[in-house]
Amino acid sequence: MVSEMNLVKLKRFILSPYTLFIVAILIPPLFVVDPFWVNRLSLYLVFSVLALSMSLCWGYAGILSLGHGVFFGLGAYCMAMSLKLLSPDSLTQGTPFPLPDFIVWNTPPGEALKLPWLWVPFQNQWFGLVAALLVPALFAALVGWFVFYGSVSGVFISIITLSMVVILNLVIIDQQPLTNGFNGLNNLAMFNVGGFEFDPYGLPTYYLIAIACALTLLGTRWLTQTKAGLIFKAIQADEQRVKYFGYDIAAYKIFALSVSAMIAGLAGVLFVINSQYASPTIMDVTLSIAIVIWVAVGGRDSLIGAAVGAIAINAIQNVLSESESLINVWRLLLGILFLLVVMFLPKGLASLGSLLQRSPSVTTDTATPVEAVDSQPLKLLSQVEPRK
Amino acid sequence: MKRRVFVQNLAVSAALTAMAGCVRSATSSTSGATGSDIKVGILFSLTGGLEIVEKSMHDATLMAIEEINQAGGVLGRKLTPVIEDGASDPRIFAEKARKLLISDKVATVFGCYTGASVKAVLPVFTQQRGLLYYPTYAQGNECPSHAIYTGAVPNQQVSNFIPWIMKNLHAKRFFLVGSNYVFPREMAKVAKIMLKQNGGEFVADEYLPLNHTEWGPLVSKIKQLKPDAIFSNVVGTSTVAFYREFKNQGLKPEDIPICSTVTSEVETQAIGSEFVEGHYSSFPYFQSVSTPVNKDWVAKVKQKFGNNAVTHHAMECSYWQVHIFKQAAEKAQSLEPEKMRTASLGLEYEAPGGLVKIDPDNGNAWLTPRIGQCQADGQYKIVDEGKAPIKPLPYVAYGETTGNLYCTAKGLDTAKFKPQEQS
Repeated sequence: MVSEMNLVKLKRFILSPYTLFIVAILIPPLFVVDPFWVNRLSLYLVFSVLALSMSLCWGYAGILSLGHGVFFGLGAYCMAMSLKLLSPDSLTQGTPFPLPDFIVWNTPPGEALKLPWLWVPFQNQWFGLVAALLVPALFAALVGWFVFYGSVSGVFISIITLSMVVILNLVIIDQQPLTNGFNGLNNLAMFNVGGFEFDPYGLPTYYLIAIACALTLLGTRWLTQTKAGLIFKAIQADEQRVKYFGYDIAAYKIFALSVSAMIAGLAGVLFVINSQYASPTIMDVTLSIAIVIWVAVGGRDSLIGAAVGAIAINAIQNVLSESESLINVWRLLLGILFLLVVMFLPKGLASLGSLLQRSPSVTTDTATPVEAVDSQPLKLLSQVEPRK
Repeated sequence: MKRRVFVQNLAVSAALTAMAGCVRSATSSTSGATGSDIKVGILFSLTGGLEIVEKSMHDATLMAIEEINQAGGVLGRKLTPVIEDGASDPRIFAEKARKLLISDKVATVFGCYTGASVKAVLPVFTQQRGLLYYPTYAQGNECPSHAIYTGAVPNQQVSNFIPWIMKNLHAKRFFLVGSNYVFPREMAKVAKIMLKQNGGEFVADEYLPLNHTEWGPLVSKIKQLKPDAIFSNVVGTSTVAFYREFKNQGLKPEDIPICSTVTSEVETQAIGSEFVEGHYSSFPYFQSVSTPVNKDWVAKVKQKFGNNAVTHHAMECSYWQVHIFKQAAEKAQSLEPEKMRTASLGLEYEAPGGLVKIDPDNGNAWLTPRIGQCQADGQYKIVDEGKAPIKPLPYVAYGETTGNLYCTAKGLDTAKFKPQEQS
């Protein structure tokens, strides 16, 4: 009896979409020989981490951020600053300290070369890595503190986050002596752990990113199944009611936005390890809105839907933009595709699941609590207990 | 449960699609290595804010490839272009450059317009030991080991321009303006050094983001400061807004001429010639150059792309650099990028703008400086012209001279180049 139970559990575990997704992302490199494609597939996984961050924030906590590129970009810049200082070019500028090449170009004639104070702690790669996670999270907490305790809600959050990305993008472009402006940071060192260098085109880097992606997926899933996750969903269903139960809604929202920002920062780190590059175009409006589109197409209520949406859209985008006959119209085709999804699958690709539900070939099964809350906000609210 | 089934299917099919893509690309790269055609990459923006200019450069590159193929190809083999879209975004440029070099294994890449895109791709070319032919006028202060630059450098575009403006337009007080990225900022730095050397001064040094279109406040500032001339490094769609706002606020070229290093025939066409008429630009090539080679070429361009098509400096370089590549491959008897780069050094070609030569030391081009004034029809009347092509000096602002080179075939001489000691 017990072993039978375990068997059922094991079967469920193996067939769960989470396990299958993780297995699916670990397999491709065994077949792919072309290093360019190994690199590109891992880039898709970086974007799926970013989509997970958006799904948590928008799909679960109901905060539609149009400025997620900021958190991604801050993470990427922190990591890139460290790797820039460790690059062979920066170490051979003839100064006693590492110096990025663009600081040499941007120093006005007649002034002494020095490393700006902002750059000094980034000489340590691990400082850069930790900063890449904490800076976006703290920045999100600060923005969230103003926004949520200021009782800003709905579309205004989107407008504020959108202006946030525009402002920060302009600041980075304008502070060329400090950030290399529009050019961004390139020519970076490889990420190095105990003497092992992660070559962006090698399998170790692919697996580093794939494992980070898998852990993020499991971590966000765990979070959405905790009590906090339940309250995120409840706030989305009926904010007033949760408030009357005595919950500090703003605190929960700040927490959700900060965790989401930290995951976006992690995606930024992985992006830099994958692409050896950080520039203002990765923290601009276009990318921020693209993230929302990936998640909308994949299905914002579903973590896996969001992750798959990011992978699918980026793959389609590459295929379209690289086929010679479509090179002038690929953006148009992509736009039409989005329109079709929004019109016919308003809950994203993941809602194809509910279409399958009606298919007779599929056996019925009792819905798990998480699936139930998707469709029944009232039932969900009954699970939230008043705060003592 | 059903959602699970669906997601399983989705995950599996996504993985399969991805794998199919890789297998396809893996087979195509093998066939490229063994096939008889030579794959060359073309990397310009076909979408986004820089589309107008870069599309014309893309077209000129394809035109040259077609001509070469009709005449028998390179080393008896046809050139097959692999076309990529940089989408006006340096990040995409870097990604596509990696694709061209690592996946497509192209012999060379022709491409890039903005300094930002070329800075984004250069590390890729260095790491992968590829070769880039870059056809745009540049800001100098670069000594790349895996590229050939065929556009003007500051001593062919600014060294002649500033003294000419001061003498002929009686200007002393300059207003410097540009888009906010590496090319305009470095060009402004070069201009400041040259103003100082010639006894001029600058009253402002302003930047607006690339493709910014709100020029009202900045033009008002120009009106207020009343400079004798404007030295403009404004790039892309911003040029349209800038020239129009300038005229709309009642400023006239007779009072304050805009002297640009960027506004060529193609930008003029986009702005509308009535807004640019009377202003000046400095380029080694204008469509109005009256050599027989140029007349032929302009006729061919018009025949191919319609009567409204114009030619301009970066487009001209995009065209003739493909012919230099052909000569280089044949001289090297190899498609090895590093050997072709070495073979490119010293090669000459009778280009539409006159004789050009790849400098044996720094891999930039010998070009003839020219200054043009925009006419009512959008064409430039050449008002000043060098006698012969001059040697490119990418570090001219930092004291580089023909007798004291900083950038040679060995790379940058860091003992000589000391940016911080210049004053």
